[in-house]
Amino acid sequence: TAHSPSLRPPSPALCHQHPQLPSSPLPPLRAPLAHPESRSPHAVPGPIPSVPLPSLHSRPHPFPLPGHAKPRKAFPVIGIDYKHVRIPFEISLWILLACLMKLGFHVIPSVSSIVPESCLLIVVGLLVGGLIKGVGEKPPILKSDIFFLFLLPPIILDAGYFLPLRPFTENLGTILIFAVVGTLWNAFFLGGLMYAVCQLGGPGLNHIGLLANLLFGSIISAVDPVAVLAVFEEIHINELLHILVFGESLLNDAVTVVLYHLFEEFASFEQVTILDIILGFLSFFVVSLGGVLVGVIYGVIAAFTSRFTSHIRVIEPLFVFLYSYMAYLSAELFHLSGIMALIAAGVVMRPYVEANISHKSHTTIKYFLKMWSSVSETLIFIFLGVSTVAGHHYWNWTFVISTLFFCLIARVLGVLVLTWFINKFRIVKLTPKDQFIIAYGGLRGAIAFSLGYLLDYHHFDMRDMFLTAIITVIFFTVFVQGMTIRPLVDLLAVKKKQETKRSINEEIHTQFLDHLLTGIEDICGHYGHHHWKDKLNRFNKKYVKKCLIAGERSKEPQLIAFYHKMEMKQAIELVESGGIGKIPSAVSTVSIQNINPQTLPLERVLPALSKDKEEEIRKILRTNLQKTRQRLRSYNRHTLVADPYEEAWNQMLLRRQKARQLEQKMNNYLTVPAHRVDSPTMSRARIGSDPLAYEPKEDSENLPIITIDPASPQSPESAELTSEEPKGCSGLPPSPEEDEEGLVMRVKEPSSPGTDDVFTPGNSDSPSNQRMLRCLSDPGPRPEPEEGEPFIPKGQ
Amino acid sequence: MALLDQKNNNVSITVFILCCVHTIMTRKENGWQEHREDFQRIPELAINPLGDRIINAFFPEGEDQVNFRGFMRTLAHFRPIEDNEKSKDQNGPEPLNSRSNKLHFAFRLYDLDKDDKISRDELLQVLRMMVGVNISDEQLGSIADRTIQEADQDGDSAISFAEFVKVLEKVDVEQKMSIRFLH
Repeated sequence: TAHSPSLRPPSPALCHQHPQLPSSPLPPLRAPLAHPESRSPHAVPGPIPSVPLPSLHSRPHPFPLPGHAKPRKAFPVIGIDYKHVRIPFEISLWILLACLMKLGFHVIPSVSSIVPESCLLIVVGLLVGGLIKGVGEKPPILKSDIFFLFLLPPIILDAGYFLPLRPFTENLGTILIFAVVGTLWNAFFLGGLMYAVCQLGGPGLNHIGLLANLLFGSIISAVDPVAVLAVFEEIHINELLHILVFGESLLNDAVTVVLYHLFEEFASFEQVTILDIILGFLSFFVVSLGGVLVGVIYGVIAAFTSRFTSHIRVIEPLFVFLYSYMAYLSAELFHLSGIMALIAAGVVMRPYVEANISHKSHTTIKYFLKMWSSVSETLIFIFLGVSTVAGHHYWNWTFVISTLFFCLIARVLGVLVLTWFINKFRIVKLTPKDQFIIAYGGLRGAIAFSLGYLLDYHHFDMRDMFLTAIITVIFFTVFVQGMTIRPLVDLLAVKKKQETKRSINEEIHTQFLDHLLTGIEDICGHYGHHHWKDKLNRFNKKYVKKCLIAGERSKEPQLIAFYHKMEMKQAIELVESGGIGKIPSAVSTVSIQNINPQTLPLERVLPALSKDKEEEIRKILRTNLQKTRQRLRSYNRHTLVADPYEEAWNQMLLRRQKARQLEQKMNNYLTVPAHRVDSPTMSRARIGSDPLAYEPKEDSENLPIITIDPASPQSPESAELTSEEPKGCSGLPPSPEEDEEGLVMRVKEPSSPGTDDVFTPGNSDSPSNQRMLRCLSDPGPRPEPEEGEPFIPKGQ
Repeated sequence: MALLDQKNNNVSITVFILCCVHTIMTRKENGWQEHREDFQRIPELAINPLGDRIINAFFPEGEDQVNFRGFMRTLAHFRPIEDNEKSKDQNGPEPLNSRSNKLHFAFRLYDLDKDDKISRDELLQVLRMMVGVNISDEQLGSIADRTIQEADQDGDSAISFAEFVKVLEKVDVEQKMSIRFLH
């Protein structure tokens, strides 16, 4: 009724009104249609379905109209409609340019080792901007909206989600002092000095008031996380310095936000009273703590949601991203600190989400975050370059040079004084070398530029000059400081980051020391760092983990989780590196005589696999696995799990690897009676449908138990096994080694000469291994109901 | 106070000592002697997995009391390492709060039978205390095996003090095993 007129070809009366209407914008289109004279008086079309209309009018009019002598065009076979796709097209083009640039830098290694990537990107931006300007078009400027809403959040989320929590909390006091007091000092020192300069600087600068200068100071004084990340990532300095500078750049956002809004408001007041100042002081706490609170709330909700995602694994990463982004936007909504909200959300949700989601989702989150933040960073720097070319500039020598000079002085002075103060409270003092790096690493970046860009022309007519000065400082810090920091770090022999992974020893002993120190602190009655950490951990274990982590992972102690993660990583590495015949070199030859012999375990005997059953299994696997290589797998996005071939292959590889570990363990260690229990790995595997983590559910009666008998005279391969062991242990009684799944294999038949192509890893693999593999390939008479055993016929 | 064998007995140490001792000593009736029960009365120590071992570390061999001097000796391990101490002459006895002595203190808490080695059993005991009851024995066993495998260099399937030190070389023991007090 009211809508249908819009779908019919427009009536002749209406035609006159809009032959020259533009194709894309909608509102003008509505206006004429809202006043239909020729139609029924009561039919005022309500909300017009806007979708069909533009397309209706963007193409040349298909219907020949009576009374209109329009020349008939031939039916357009090919047409160009740039306006239709303009915005997404340009965005994609820019992003593509950014990625190609990144690619290019790494193809030319010599340049990228001297000049940090951020500098190169700014230069590229300058060139591109110059190109666009030369062509005659107006190059785009980095709009503050786009920067703050789209480009900045991925970088901050990446930083917050992967924030190394231990060094961060250990140095939190130092970081906070640098962030809050340091930024305040910078802002006021700089603002005050610039005011003095302006007063003395001649007629061009005299009119700039104190508040405007203070505002300028607060914009330029904040250390920028994007620039710091970009430069510090490449120089690999030690963890402490990295977290100090980086943490400072993240946490000073609250101060910057408060000061910026404060001075912006004040600039429009005629008088600033004490009450305003007190309110400003109060607002700092509101902004920072409010931001953190918002982040924590969203983090908890995200963790809670992830508890239930075991059936829809595909969208798990999306929850993480969306909740974090919502936290950022909600904080920005209330003028709270969006960066702190984002960091808090990432930090809070991470331990619980990682316990709940599958391995694949974890990888997805990691790679998506890295990808987005990388692209964002590249775009930011390119746009900085372009905006430099595109923007209006007003160069005033005095102002700019003195800004630069005082920025540096303010930073150095601030760091020196604060470090002297902080060192009174630190156990590990900050050396002068550290102080130098901290001061030198205070880079300014795109946040300062965007904040300056946001300034209103009406209140601040010297905005162009401010922008010029800001850009100059940014260029100086990024180019000069960014380029020279690497040789300086080498020259001063600053400690670099240690690349080695944390060993399980470190983990155990660190926890041990934690408990020890907590105990000592309790004896002294001193409620220090360890005491509160211990209390938080207990609270976490008792209440929070139960709510937020699904299933039995909630009871898994941290040590066990660490151990499992490490084992998994090792398994994956082994598989990826080909894994064949490569026994890790950390195998130590343990002389077994020192170890107290333990009681022999009960030997569970099960019928070994019959030959034809083995043959059948092998045949099925061979045919199916060969097919995998030829097929082009089409993914059904609704069921990521249901890919039996990939799953089978992965299981195969994992079993092989486990078999290898089994053998290695048996060669070296004392064994423990195999007594099965539902280990967290398995329950996690059941919850997550990740094939790599899958292991069949144990059942003491039904699973085939495999024991290798190294000293048994019948098995010919016993000679090989004993030859790997150190001398003097050939008399060791056979002892089945426990495994994560308690799977132990008894090898009864003599080794068969034939080996499969599919399974043959190489010459170094012993026949017993192959036999174990073949036997292990049978998942057991009672397969896991959810996973199913696709390559074993049911009812076996 | 010449109670401690420290080279620098500045006022801060005295303050530190008095502050922390006050909490316990106020519960005392019989002078400057500590008994095991006094320690065991501290509620937080009861839930600490290492509570008993820590208490035992304060008491010298076989005795049931510790005097003030002994108490302070044990606590002195946890003083932060001062910068000026590092450059002191090497002639004197190593101060109690040096890195090596701190690590030795921790090592002694592992090594109950005092054979200068952390055997697999001792490690298992500690793991069991830290991890709780939910984990199976052989899982803990495999963790203990792995731990010993990583650390062991002379092949005796136990962790000696030197190996212990080597494993913890990347951990910032000076910071971890120090308690900050008023300065």
